[in-house]
Amino acid sequence: MRLRNALILLVCAGLAVVESVLPFVFHLRAARPDLLLVVVLYLALHDEVVQGAALAAAAGYLSDLNSATPAFLYTFLAVLTFIVVRTAGAALRTEGGVQSALVAFGASMVHSLIATMVFGFFTGAGFHLETATLLWSAFGTAVAAPFVFSILGRVDASFRHADEAPGRFR
Amino acid sequence: MGSILKRFREPIFVVALLAVPFVVFFVKAKQGRDLSTLDRVVITLTAPVEKTITLAAFAAIDAWQGYAALRGVREENLTLRRETLKAHAVEQQAAEVRLENDRLRRLLDFVDKQLPTHLVLARVVAVGASPHSHTLRIARGAEDGVVKGAPVISPDGVVGIVSQLTASYADVQLIVSPLSAVPAITQRTRSRSTVKGTGDIARCKLTYALRTEDLQEGDVVVTAGGPGTFPQGLRVGRVTNVAKKAHGLFLEAEVVPAVDFTRLDEVEVVVQGERPALPQDVAAGPGTPGSGP
Repeated sequence: MRLRNALILLVCAGLAVVESVLPFVFHLRAARPDLLLVVVLYLALHDEVVQGAALAAAAGYLSDLNSATPAFLYTFLAVLTFIVVRTAGAALRTEGGVQSALVAFGASMVHSLIATMVFGFFTGAGFHLETATLLWSAFGTAVAAPFVFSILGRVDASFRHADEAPGRFR
Repeated sequence: MGSILKRFREPIFVVALLAVPFVVFFVKAKQGRDLSTLDRVVITLTAPVEKTITLAAFAAIDAWQGYAALRGVREENLTLRRETLKAHAVEQQAAEVRLENDRLRRLLDFVDKQLPTHLVLARVVAVGASPHSHTLRIARGAEDGVVKGAPVISPDGVVGIVSQLTASYADVQLIVSPLSAVPAITQRTRSRSTVKGTGDIARCKLTYALRTEDLQEGDVVVTAGGPGTFPQGLRVGRVTNVAKKAHGLFLEAEVVPAVDFTRLDEVEVVVQGERPALPQDVAAGPGTPGSGP
């Protein structure tokens, strides 16, 4: 399990790098996917509570560090998102690509709204809601969600197989 | 007590995981971020990967655009582009220098107390990871003389300030960030104001401009200068959407940034102190903002 968690963290670090580099290389103004948010969604829907929350916090921390925002804003939001999605988990299905994209779109909208409010209120910067940016970001996140779910699903599947065939990943 | 803790272990852990980051954020929300050792280690590990991917991607894009076949043309194009950017920078500063000269002639006892500065060229390697962040990561850090709060500019105008840094990398908070406020002057009228970020990468808000000022659409806004901020006379952007209300002290207007933040490959960091004899550093020429007396 430790190796699985380490791999998830490695995937998070990889996605954080991709998230930082892709918009720069392709000059993306708006449709920037929040890949680490998708990881938090996956963890909320597939992982155990304590382990998932800890990994979600780690994903939020990476997002924090690469965004140069006030310390721990995204760490807090990642754990909050984890709890909310976990609570609503029974009502959410992400078996298909379209379903995971829809869940990611909704989660990204709510996450962005809360981020904007918390950031504006506590930093004193004021509430600046950019609807177009918010929608485009949610769209980018929705497009990326099936791929991220697929990567994390493969990681988990390899460990399920390892459990069935002793000797691998142990 | 022990049994209660054991029974509610999971909720307690999750609540703590939620509360601790929130408290730290709450306490430090209005302060700048000071990187911890762990932060520095993570950035030191990930930033070179970002740099490598960025360089490789641009190399691939260059190759795709026919680098081999059009090498000569491309080199010439690059040279001309650099010269155009330099000329553009000189041109935008010339008008400011002319106005400045007129004022300085009337101030015979003027003493320039500005510390000597120089510009350090820095390659952009990544942008802020979150879609809501307004930062750039550059491949220059404390080892190159960059300090927290150092102004970052480009030939087109102001870019932002250094918000956090490690030995080799720094994150630049763009002027469009809601946390940014740049003291500014309207070039034509010399009226003072402040350009604040809105979170929208394509526009800023012009604040504290008096309603009585003759501010017009298209007016150029430049930096006001002053200690601890941007050098004077750098282009911030152009005024748009001016709205003068019938009452109130200040008018409302927006500023379209002079810099396209999505297309910044290289920037310059204004560094205090004499210029070291390093070949990669770009000296500020005479009359260039940032050059010392």
